[in-house]
Amino acid sequence: MTAGNVSKYVYTAIILFLLWIVLTSTFFWEEILAGLVLSAMVAAMGYSLFTDKGLGNFSPKRLAYFLVYIPVFLWDVIKANLDVAYRVLSPKMPIKPGIVEIHTDLKSDIAKLGLANSITLTPGTLTLDIDDDRLFIHWIYVRTTDIKEASEEIGGKFERYMKVIFE
Amino acid sequence: MIKKSIALILIAILFVAIFFTLANDLPFGDNRTTTGVSDKYIYHGVNDTGASNLVTAIVVNYRGFDTLGEVTVLFVAATGVGAVLYNMGRPAGKKRKKTEASLIVRTGSRILFPMMLLFGAYIFVHGHLTPGGGFQGGAVIATAFLFKYVSDTRYHIDHNKFTATESVVGMTFALVGIMGLLLTGYFLFNFLPNGSPGELLSAGIIPIIYVAIGIKVGAELTGILDNMMEVEQ
Repeated sequence: MTAGNVSKYVYTAIILFLLWIVLTSTFFWEEILAGLVLSAMVAAMGYSLFTDKGLGNFSPKRLAYFLVYIPVFLWDVIKANLDVAYRVLSPKMPIKPGIVEIHTDLKSDIAKLGLANSITLTPGTLTLDIDDDRLFIHWIYVRTTDIKEASEEIGGKFERYMKVIFE
Repeated sequence: MIKKSIALILIAILFVAIFFTLANDLPFGDNRTTTGVSDKYIYHGVNDTGASNLVTAIVVNYRGFDTLGEVTVLFVAATGVGAVLYNMGRPAGKKRKKTEASLIVRTGSRILFPMMLLFGAYIFVHGHLTPGGGFQGGAVIATAFLFKYVSDTRYHIDHNKFTATESVVGMTFALVGIMGLLLTGYFLFNFLPNGSPGELLSAGIIPIIYVAIGIKVGAELTGILDNMMEVEQ
């Protein structure tokens, strides 16, 4: 279920314009005008690949989940940071690194990318590759090699949000 | 052996001579940045050109002619790369095998490509206000296209469109210079109002020239990348 071209184009232009606002950090009319023109031009070059859903990404449910996801994700990153810091500083060096395979139910590429990047940004876990519905994760302390358990432990929480935000 | 030793000794003598001459002439540790011509640039640059980025004021306004030469050098270099690599494709069946990029890279490039283009445009549009300018922005744009090549083994640009774009913006640069010649009597002289420094529409002809340079550099570097990628026909 992909959106129409107009919807994709408008969505891309809006996202690019928001990026422009962040870059210039001003609402001066000349900057706004330049941002509108450039977003419209650049969006024309990349809109067909930029998004699958187009304006559907702005549905209130997706936005709400996205806004909730930011603190949830940051909290997870902080916890994982402390965990890795402990493993680094502890004299016993309690690490057991290895690569595990996890499964995901996500179907769309963008959702998979979101999941993979969330896992990578969390210290201690790193997505090496994605093959269809299998993700290969380097884990600093392999607690389990069971695919189901590892999937739940590493990506389970992220996946539930990704499903709503991107699918 | 003797020749080499003589050469080395000569180099050593030259080095010592130049080093000590300079060391004696240059007042070490003194503040030399505000002497001679740099004095003028620093204290009059903003009033003269209206650009809050002094580097850009020098590169595009005071020494705009030099920059026109640099753009030409880049153009010749791009043409040279094209000429050397043209028809140098490997014989059939001996093409290097390309590995398909992983899903992460492929999907990431879909999302980042327009953002990188916009960032490159942001850099060259703000050349007269913030660090960066046409050359840097153009390089960012070429990087966006490089990302496309990395993520999709079959991707390749439409050379005609890129050459056309490049020619149009190159002519824009020259036209701005000729306009200056006609309106003020000097080639590449600023004929537009300076505006108030710090605003987007200020610094006269600098933004126009930097947008042209940005697009031109982006197109040229992308062309070089395309030539080097051994695109399979």
